[in-house]
Amino acid sequence: MESILLTNCKVYDGKELLDGEKHILIEDGKIAKIAAEKPSVSENLKIYNLKGLIVCPGFIDIHAHLRDPGQEWREDILSGARAAARGGYTTIVAMPNTDPPVDNPFLVRYVIEKGRSSGGARVLPAGTVSKNREGCVMAEMGKMVEEGAVFFTDDGSPVKNSSLLQKALLYSSHLDVRIMEHPEDNELSKGGQVNYGWCSSISGLKGNPPSSEVVDIKKCVALAKETGGAIHFTHVSTKEGIEEIKRAKSEGLPITCDVTPHHLTLDETMVVKSGFDATYKVNPPLRNKEDVEALWQAIADGVVDAIATDHAPYHMDEKDLPFQEAAFGIASLECAIAAVLNEWSSRGKICPLERLLSLWTSNPAGLLPRQWSDLGVIKEGAPADLTVLDLDKNKQVKVEEWASKARLTPWEDASLKGWPVMTFLEGKVLFCDTDRRC
Amino acid sequence: MEWKHKNLIDLDCWEKEEILHLIDQAGNMEDLLNRPIKKVPALRGKLIVNLFFEPSTRTRVSFELAEKMLSADVVNWSASGSSTAKGETLRDTAWTLESMGADAIVVRHGAVGAASYLQRKLKHAAVFNAGDGAHAHPTQALLDIYTASKHYSSLEGLRIAIVGDIVHSRVARSNMIGFRTMGCDVVVSGPKTLMPPELDYYGVRYFKDPREAVKGANIVYLLRIQRERQEQGLFPSLDEYFKLFGADEELISLAEKDALIMHPGPINRRVEIDSLVADGPQSVILEQVRSGVAVRMALLYLCLGGAR
Repeated sequence: MESILLTNCKVYDGKELLDGEKHILIEDGKIAKIAAEKPSVSENLKIYNLKGLIVCPGFIDIHAHLRDPGQEWREDILSGARAAARGGYTTIVAMPNTDPPVDNPFLVRYVIEKGRSSGGARVLPAGTVSKNREGCVMAEMGKMVEEGAVFFTDDGSPVKNSSLLQKALLYSSHLDVRIMEHPEDNELSKGGQVNYGWCSSISGLKGNPPSSEVVDIKKCVALAKETGGAIHFTHVSTKEGIEEIKRAKSEGLPITCDVTPHHLTLDETMVVKSGFDATYKVNPPLRNKEDVEALWQAIADGVVDAIATDHAPYHMDEKDLPFQEAAFGIASLECAIAAVLNEWSSRGKICPLERLLSLWTSNPAGLLPRQWSDLGVIKEGAPADLTVLDLDKNKQVKVEEWASKARLTPWEDASLKGWPVMTFLEGKVLFCDTDRRC
Repeated sequence: MEWKHKNLIDLDCWEKEEILHLIDQAGNMEDLLNRPIKKVPALRGKLIVNLFFEPSTRTRVSFELAEKMLSADVVNWSASGSSTAKGETLRDTAWTLESMGADAIVVRHGAVGAASYLQRKLKHAAVFNAGDGAHAHPTQALLDIYTASKHYSSLEGLRIAIVGDIVHSRVARSNMIGFRTMGCDVVVSGPKTLMPPELDYYGVRYFKDPREAVKGANIVYLLRIQRERQEQGLFPSLDEYFKLFGADEELISLAEKDALIMHPGPINRRVEIDSLVADGPQSVILEQVRSGVAVRMALLYLCLGGAR
């Protein structure tokens, strides 16, 4: 395998930004050396001069919908994994709400194998908590873990039956795989199209209230406390939801959470201002400005454990419709990191850069089973999964250039500052949007 | 005045002067309607399509009459028995109609955002919103403002009480915007389950007690209560609704002496309104219907015809 040398780069190693410039030698898919002095090298070497850029552990997205098997007109594992690599990710977790759902070891294996041949990011599967994602009977979690499942979730919906969730928490306690909950009370959110409050009042659309999220979080926290099982709340969108999680964490409960790029950068007013453009239609809905503020504050306070895309691609024909008829979901893999970096700068860098970077690297890696814990760090001997950031790069989002099958995104034509420009998976260049080859 | 609007999606982008100008024009149109020969050639050669995806009688007929009085060519396209029933999307239907040469499309659709969606998708044709889901019904608001204006020289400072199912009502939303733009003091009442959670945007006050809302009002506006709301559990029974919020003579007696009684129709007698009120001397419900044609003529004329 070809060796690669990255020279003159800043390095974020998963904990901190290292002082000075470094040189990173990649051999056999692993990080062979990190040195302050440029190592003497043989001729058979690809060299990239990354002066001014930041080399990070490969970014991890723990929540992406790849729609495969069964809904390949929306996305498939190949297009999704390539989209992820182009978006700056080296590892993504594929959600199991496919058709059929990934609720058995064979489909877990299918997702892994198809991901391996994708030429894109590493694809790790999540399996469902319940068979057929129906909330009645526990899925074969143990067998799915043996085949490589890294989360259990009925995402798309919450685990519908509290008693099943309680049992799943107890049963999975020896498996080292977390349960990821999509926090929503389906009765409270029933029919909801936009945030309850300002947006529902003005649009005439049914509101999905913050209480829907909060009620489910409270319920799950109680179950986590009772069972000792760990719960990860995904796409937390409300101030009140964050407050519940903060409280649970301060009690020392095994609770973690992620927030999405769209809930960090968009709010309910955009639904109205755009004349009800359905690209802004998503579940949970875009909330109000105070909620967006609270999510950023939660990042600054260390309450948030990861930023995850909830990349939810649809075919154009399912999205390009009047708002009330369109599907729920925002596709973002190929601009999510830029959208967040851009917002972080325009908000006056509300938290240190290292904190933000940890939410794409070491922190989500820590939520995966132990065998993947090396993914979030840069150290000698670790696999060379790397993401290179150019914080000064300005680029316009052009969805027509995407590898994803999605053709609509709320950031279309937006000029964003701060982009991933290279990704490496086990030493192999997956994506290169920079002219730094020497 | 120079008329800048080509479309009408909602009244939130209209100035008071523009509404006043339209009302003036509607007055002229109503004079026309009273002549023995009603038709004028203002929109001769213009093709207008009435694209109705929801059943509607009064709004569709009212638009059609307005179009015909102005000599436009009119095509009625209803969802049943058309390509929509064969699965054609709104986008394709609109593009098809535009390709056939439509100058304007009047659209009624059950989905919020349908009219603005069409406006984004069409290159040339103007779009007039005849109701999109529970969002907006701007021509209803215009004809209500016109009707009220015939009874009051100015609407500035008048109190209008809107009572009923605000949260599901496109009529209420457009009227709250419209009457506020005209400088009215708008108050609303109804069960809290039928109220939007946020009213500050509209500059409107909520009263739990309809008697408090109606007290001293110059206009009492009742909204249709759909039976399905009771089935959805938003209030226990139609009978109880009438008892607590229905407009009977006792409630109306709290308003100003000559207060106008308005309703967008069709009315549910003994649900939101008692027959003695609906058919009483203060009721202008049928006048509203009559105003609809003149107001829509003025709108089409200003946006498509002479003024442009």
